[in-house]
Amino acid sequence: MSPQVDTLIRAAQRGDQDAFEQLVRTYDQSVLRLAMNLLRSPEDARDVYQEAFLRVYRNLHAFRFDCSFHTWLYRIVTNICLDQLRKRKVRKEETAVVETSEGAIDRMEQYEEEAAAADPERSMWNRELKQRIENALVGLTPRERMVFELRHYQGLRLRNIGEMLGTTEEAAKNCLFRATQKMRGELGDFV
Amino acid sequence: MNCDTVRKLIPLYFYGEVTPDEEDQVDQHLHECAACAAQLEQQSALAGALDQRKLEIPLALLDECRDDLMAAIAGGAPRQVKPAKGPWALFLDAMSATFTGFGRLRQPVGAVLLILLGFAVARFTGSGPSPSPVLSDNVYPMVRDVKADNDGTVRIRFDETSHHEVAGRLEDPNIQRLILAGSRDEDAAVRVESVGLLKNRVDSPEVRDSLLNALAGDPNDGVRLKALEALKPLAGDAQVTKTLSQVLLTDANPAVRMQVIDLMVTRRDDSVVGVLQNLMQREDNNGVRLKASKVLKDWNASIGTF
Repeated sequence: MSPQVDTLIRAAQRGDQDAFEQLVRTYDQSVLRLAMNLLRSPEDARDVYQEAFLRVYRNLHAFRFDCSFHTWLYRIVTNICLDQLRKRKVRKEETAVVETSEGAIDRMEQYEEEAAAADPERSMWNRELKQRIENALVGLTPRERMVFELRHYQGLRLRNIGEMLGTTEEAAKNCLFRATQKMRGELGDFV
Repeated sequence: MNCDTVRKLIPLYFYGEVTPDEEDQVDQHLHECAACAAQLEQQSALAGALDQRKLEIPLALLDECRDDLMAAIAGGAPRQVKPAKGPWALFLDAMSATFTGFGRLRQPVGAVLLILLGFAVARFTGSGPSPSPVLSDNVYPMVRDVKADNDGTVRIRFDETSHHEVAGRLEDPNIQRLILAGSRDEDAAVRVESVGLLKNRVDSPEVRDSLLNALAGDPNDGVRLKALEALKPLAGDAQVTKTLSQVLLTDANPAVRMQVIDLMVTRRDDSVVGVLQNLMQREDNNGVRLKASKVLKDWNASIGTF
């Protein structure tokens, strides 16, 4: 843990609101990115953000520096995201697609279109590939999905991921292997 | 290794999650087996396709999340439906509509007019309210509370933000304070510029801490690279080395990691050897791996930890 983060945590534990805000700003982009990428819904991502950092705020006094703050924070965030993913599995709701009087719309479209405008490659987005990828991701268990997300998109090491999810590196390896196998099976000759 | 074993390892190999021994064996197998090499290519294509799905966070969403959180912590109700507009908001709207194009200034303009109104009322009624401050053109008041007394006095509580321009040399403590504030600004361009200027003042502990903070925590790559450049004269300092070690193992940008290595290896240090060996266990980027392994070889240190 960097000495600066350490200092911020200790100050926030003493009730320094500015320090807490700085601490949040150090990590909140990656938290929001994780939630957005996993849940594909700005509303749900906002809920995860709020709940995660409120839990941090309420429990920071109990943080004893026996693991990195990043790991501690991600334990909270991944638990909340896993709960959301599990609820969706039960409700059979997966994507951000909602039915409206004008037909199905994807609530993420506006963000992807904004991204496409900024990045010409995005404008070449292949809708069919996108759909196949979504199908492939739906086929993963919440835990496989989380391990894959943390490794592929967040670039975390499987050892850290295991620590965050309360499991072993070996179990995280197995999850990653199963996730990639399932996706390759679903995408088949597409890639 | 046979094909079955290699194919089970390919996803882990792709993500750099195999042991050095496994890596060597998979490498060797891939050189000899076209079918398994094709599997690796498929894995790479899958990763490429999935990369397209990655979302950038809209800044507006991030701002909303931050505002909601701070409101919730302060005891406010986050993300509730905005209340119906009160007379004050309606008044400001009317002001804004009157001065088309002054939308962003409606609060300051409204506040100034209210203050003037209070001043005028006091003058005509002859009562004795606290004298209102004289607001110059560069002051932007943020009104917190407005109350109208029965005697016609208007009481306004407000914070003010002033826009100033100052000029001075870096040695000037006031200029330094402003640059330090700039290094923490919301605007990445201001942070890049400010951190770049701090490189001439690294002898100050406050500047050094600010640079280390920027290096360890700034989300902008340009700011972190500027901070690294500024910290060059402090290479070898224990505190700096500690932060560099952490950044080397956690920073997402390979360019930053490459420069961190440059800065850490100005002299041989056993703790740096350990960090580089640790890096070799987890690094995905070939350029960074090559650089780290070259340093370890030059220092006659083993590539991995045992």
